[in-house]
Amino acid sequence: MHAAADPHARRIRVLVAKVGLDGHDVGARVIARGLFDAGMEVIYTGLRRTTAEVVRAAIDEDVDWIGVSTLSGAHRVMLPKLRRLLDENDATDIRIIAGGVIPQEDIPELIANGVSRVFLSGTPVAEIVDYLVQETPRA
Amino acid sequence: MNNPKPPFASEVQQEADRWREETFAPHAAARPARKPFVTDVGIEVAPLYTPADLERIGFDYLRDAGFPGEFPFTRGDRPGMNRTEPFVVSAYSGFGDAVVCNQRFKKLIEIGAEQILVALDLPTQCGYDSDHEMATAEVGQVGVAIDTLADMELLFEGIPADSLKRIGTLGNSIGPIVLALYAALGEKQGIPWERYVVNLQNDPLKEYIARGTQILPPAPAAVLAADAVAWCAEHAPNWSPMTVCVNHINAGGAGSSLGTAIALANARHYLGLLLARGYSIDQVAPLLHLFPDERHDFFVSIANLRALRRTWARMMRDTYGAKRPESMACRTTVYGHGQEALAEPLNNIPRTAFGTLAYVLGGASYVYLASYDEAVSTPNEHSARVALRTLQILAHEHGFTDTADPLGGSYFVETLTAQVEQQILDGMAQIERIGGALGVLDTGFGRKVMTEGAVRRQRALDRGERPWVTVNLWPQKPDVPNTAFRGDPQAADRQLARLAAVKAGRSQPEVAAALAEVSRAVAEGANVVPSVLRAVRAYATVGEIVDIWRSRFGSFVPNTDF
Repeated sequence: MHAAADPHARRIRVLVAKVGLDGHDVGARVIARGLFDAGMEVIYTGLRRTTAEVVRAAIDEDVDWIGVSTLSGAHRVMLPKLRRLLDENDATDIRIIAGGVIPQEDIPELIANGVSRVFLSGTPVAEIVDYLVQETPRA
Repeated sequence: MNNPKPPFASEVQQEADRWREETFAPHAAARPARKPFVTDVGIEVAPLYTPADLERIGFDYLRDAGFPGEFPFTRGDRPGMNRTEPFVVSAYSGFGDAVVCNQRFKKLIEIGAEQILVALDLPTQCGYDSDHEMATAEVGQVGVAIDTLADMELLFEGIPADSLKRIGTLGNSIGPIVLALYAALGEKQGIPWERYVVNLQNDPLKEYIARGTQILPPAPAAVLAADAVAWCAEHAPNWSPMTVCVNHINAGGAGSSLGTAIALANARHYLGLLLARGYSIDQVAPLLHLFPDERHDFFVSIANLRALRRTWARMMRDTYGAKRPESMACRTTVYGHGQEALAEPLNNIPRTAFGTLAYVLGGASYVYLASYDEAVSTPNEHSARVALRTLQILAHEHGFTDTADPLGGSYFVETLTAQVEQQILDGMAQIERIGGALGVLDTGFGRKVMTEGAVRRQRALDRGERPWVTVNLWPQKPDVPNTAFRGDPQAADRQLARLAAVKAGRSQPEVAAALAEVSRAVAEGANVVPSVLRAVRAYATVGEIVDIWRSRFGSFVPNTDF
């Protein structure tokens, strides 16, 4: 029962984003490719975007999810700000997942601030696919 | 005494075939293969190597191996290698602001660091001052914040520039600025340029496909990097102002052989710019260092260093007509990694030690070693100490460094060296056909090989074809421990206060005149270093100088392919 494989279902749409100055985007691109290969519609922002630019792209592209890859330690400021901007723009239905290098103790605070789930480096792509398939509301 | 048989006797091949069929095959058939025996670069590893393999690759000792410190430098760039001139125990470090970072540097020197390369924070690397909007939440995060010469003075307070074998930083997209900052630092400390050595990475071209601190479009970025080399050729010929990197290109997915080919194409692009300005190859080639990288396969790593030295030497002599041995001897900087995992991070100590041992056996000149927590955060004091001690153990215990190129002549290593060399040469020919270093970027070739390689590696891990303890063997939940180094939360505030104070205290007319000079230099296409040096002496900020470059050359366009 792979929802993404159902040709009649609206495909899950994901914006994979790099926010700020962190230039390491191998992880982001591997995830983008993995989600694409699993049948999702994927847009990648490219490097060095502001939170405002990511929110604008997410709304314009009507995505279900924003997947943020973060490795530079800016997550505690950047992820809550992203959530706040989405909510301020009436995009409360767009949800955020984060991946990369995030200390365990920061995760509850991020979840409390509107990040749906954190996947640390080394997570198999299939685990992320399964999560998105389960969690995306079906129209 | 029997007459010794020549090593390449044809019966060795026959006997090797017989052994494989009669003795090995039945044994192996009864046991399931643990994994595909294919290296990350795609070379298959045989169950055994014999003299017949040397014959197959046409190995000629005097032509292909030779002697350390002599052409083709396969066995080493230095005559005595580690026996007489041990590799330089190096540390890459930086976090917070210059004040806290200076304390860490003093600790590292006390432990025995012989070279310190400063890790800069992302705003500095990308040409934004600490008070710029883009610097929000990034000041002092992954490195130390440097806005002006005042920060450099504090960073090296009590650390004379000539007290270490080399000092420097990466500064890939701000090469002329970091060069000027180090030159001005010597002036402040009263130490002439010939008495210390500055080492920079200053290799912007790789940033567009890996690492990602690019500021300008690639062509002008390469010109500015070449400016730094040209300035050193005139004023500080003992410095090493450019380290052309395989490191990030390989780690990003290209693999070490193709990564080496891309790095060599980048080196050729920089050299071409310098030759076009009238420098001779023997003036500029000795200023370039290479930064090879292979972190998956121990023996490929050794083969890569040997093949790189041979390829570089032949390219210098045959393509460029270099005459000086210093131009042909490829000096290498390496950063020891392994497959570091987030789960059970102490296991990264043996991983990085083994990875670094390969570089030591391969004959690297300047050696760094990743701290066991580096995959997670800026190394803490404990992990930085373990990294340096591991390097010292590699340098002094076990006899690793007693003889040059200890694996030279190994049937396996010589065969691999020839195979890796062929991959590098094939890659270089392919890159030549698409227009060289800029073609790698313009055609999307670089991007494509990076993504394909990264996806291939991820699949090999997911399928268990590339074994990884605690990830796909005895898997453990990845964990980023709470003990991850966080730096000083007040550092960013201190940095902002200092920047404001420096701006208020400097002579504005002097800064304005110096920045006007920077504008004039870029407009005229002159070497930017003299004007940048004048600007940093006047305490102009990194961001003020880069803004002039941005307005002249424009900014890079982010690539959204995946």
